[in-house]
Amino acid sequence: MESIISVKNLRKSYKNTEAVKGINFEVEEGEIFGFLGPNGAGKSTTINMICTMLKPTSGSIIINDYDVSKDKDAVRGSIGIIFQENTLDEKLTAHENLMLHCRFYKVPKEKREERIQEVLEIVDLVNEQKQRVETFSGGMKRRLEIARGLLHYPKVLFLDEPTVGLDPQTRAHLWEYILRLKEKEGITMFLTTHYLDEAEISDRVAIMDQGEIIAIDSPTALKDQLGGDIIELSTEDNEQALKEINEKVKEAKVTVEEDTIHLKVASSDAFISSFIKTLNIPITRLNIRKPTLNDVFLAFTGRKIGETVKE
Amino acid sequence: MEGIIAIWQRDLLKFFRDKARLFGSFTMPILFLLIFGGGMSGSMETMMAGSMPKGAEGFNYVEFVFPGIVAMTLLMTSIFSAMSVIEDKDFGYMKEIMVSPISRVSIAIGKMLGSATVATIQGVMLFLLIPLLGLSYDVMALIQVIPFMFLLGCALSSLGLLFASLINSTQGFQLTVQILVMPMIFLSGALFPISNMPAWMDFIVKINPVTYGVDVMKKVMVDIENLSAPVLDAMGLNISLFGRQITIFEEVLFIGIFTTILVLLSTVSFKRANA
Repeated sequence: MESIISVKNLRKSYKNTEAVKGINFEVEEGEIFGFLGPNGAGKSTTINMICTMLKPTSGSIIINDYDVSKDKDAVRGSIGIIFQENTLDEKLTAHENLMLHCRFYKVPKEKREERIQEVLEIVDLVNEQKQRVETFSGGMKRRLEIARGLLHYPKVLFLDEPTVGLDPQTRAHLWEYILRLKEKEGITMFLTTHYLDEAEISDRVAIMDQGEIIAIDSPTALKDQLGGDIIELSTEDNEQALKEINEKVKEAKVTVEEDTIHLKVASSDAFISSFIKTLNIPITRLNIRKPTLNDVFLAFTGRKIGETVKE
Repeated sequence: MEGIIAIWQRDLLKFFRDKARLFGSFTMPILFLLIFGGGMSGSMETMMAGSMPKGAEGFNYVEFVFPGIVAMTLLMTSIFSAMSVIEDKDFGYMKEIMVSPISRVSIAIGKMLGSATVATIQGVMLFLLIPLLGLSYDVMALIQVIPFMFLLGCALSSLGLLFASLINSTQGFQLTVQILVMPMIFLSGALFPISNMPAWMDFIVKINPVTYGVDVMKKVMVDIENLSAPVLDAMGLNISLFGRQITIFEEVLFIGIFTTILVLLSTVSFKRANA
């Protein structure tokens, strides 16, 4: 597979801090690339540099064979961006917003109308196209922005927290649209999200923390790397239970989060029956599961995704 | 080119949709016309007549001040229309423009033309008041003055644009612009003649693009051929630079150069915005 984005030794420093500390990664053509990290990890800085919005201190970024520092306009023409915040003109109609975008991106005149209808169909807004955007719901606006991002047939679509602030149902719908798009158009997608379950659809994810990329692989591989099973349990007296676990159980990695004790073991099948017998405190809740991206994230960064880096 | 037209059309479309803005912008010039044109014309004329050489009795203040008020409207509208850049920043639309492959200079020109066009339209709308004020201008002269109004609009819009590209809040912009707009009106000869100013003030008058814009507009609109030299003097229509009377061509050139420089500065500012 060809790589469509290639980032080498990318660095961005401000007066006192180094926001991005010389990172390297490649994104392959046609894949969904998840880009994760806690707040303040340098994610936005990196994306802004890739999207020509911020000048790197050093390093190189190649997108679609164009150098971001030299060929800005060619890069801008090859990418579509769905920003975290709304960037539609609310006083204009959906159709007018799309038409403006066609003109900004020099879509050939005779193809504009056809493409507008095409993207509107993808996001199910054909009947609403003559309405002003200010009358749209949050979900509709998001869909319209995605439609707009597709108008100029970008090689890479950047989705920066595309579902933030939407209700779960709309979120699920939106992902359907995005996946449909990937199947239909084969567009490469560069995705950031706070909802790690959403990142599961990625072909590969990169985890960024404190200006560095600390892991990069497919979600399955990352989870396998973590290995084993996770047992979550609550007891009538967690403190007492913890004491007992620390004394008697050697093969599990133990962490505590609020009123739940997490045990990470190589295989729950062999472990669980003997474990239950060893524990004297009555168990109130027990749950066995495979690791999720959340666990991967926690293991790599020591934080949950919503937490901000503490100085 | 396509990008420039797209940005320009968007601004126009939004202007015509915003009915409140369309009519609200009328109140200020009407107020000024009432105060300066109606209320103060008598005292202004007497005041002038006192200091005026003989032969200047034909001085009609309302005729003098009308082009000035049109120019003032151009100034206000141009600069405040440039505020759309800040609104676009606030509402996020500027990002959509900035990540697109439109060249930065096209963004600046498109925005500048948008404000200038809106300003010219509002200026022309003031022509409707001419009969009410008991004035009569030659229709041809009124048509001829429109391109000059547009040019002045371009100069002032480019100024507004530069400020808007540098400032991030609407409040900050309004404050800065207020400080700028008032001297630009009063030290331009729009509302009263600017002869016999102290040297430092005269300097401001001479670098103020509104001075030349207003002067050209007056020269085109007022039938100067039939006015005696003292009246011309009284109206301040004999601006001289380095001891030489300047021509309409030179004035237009000055405004053109002013606009070009400011558009280029705005372009640099747009480029730096994402450095």
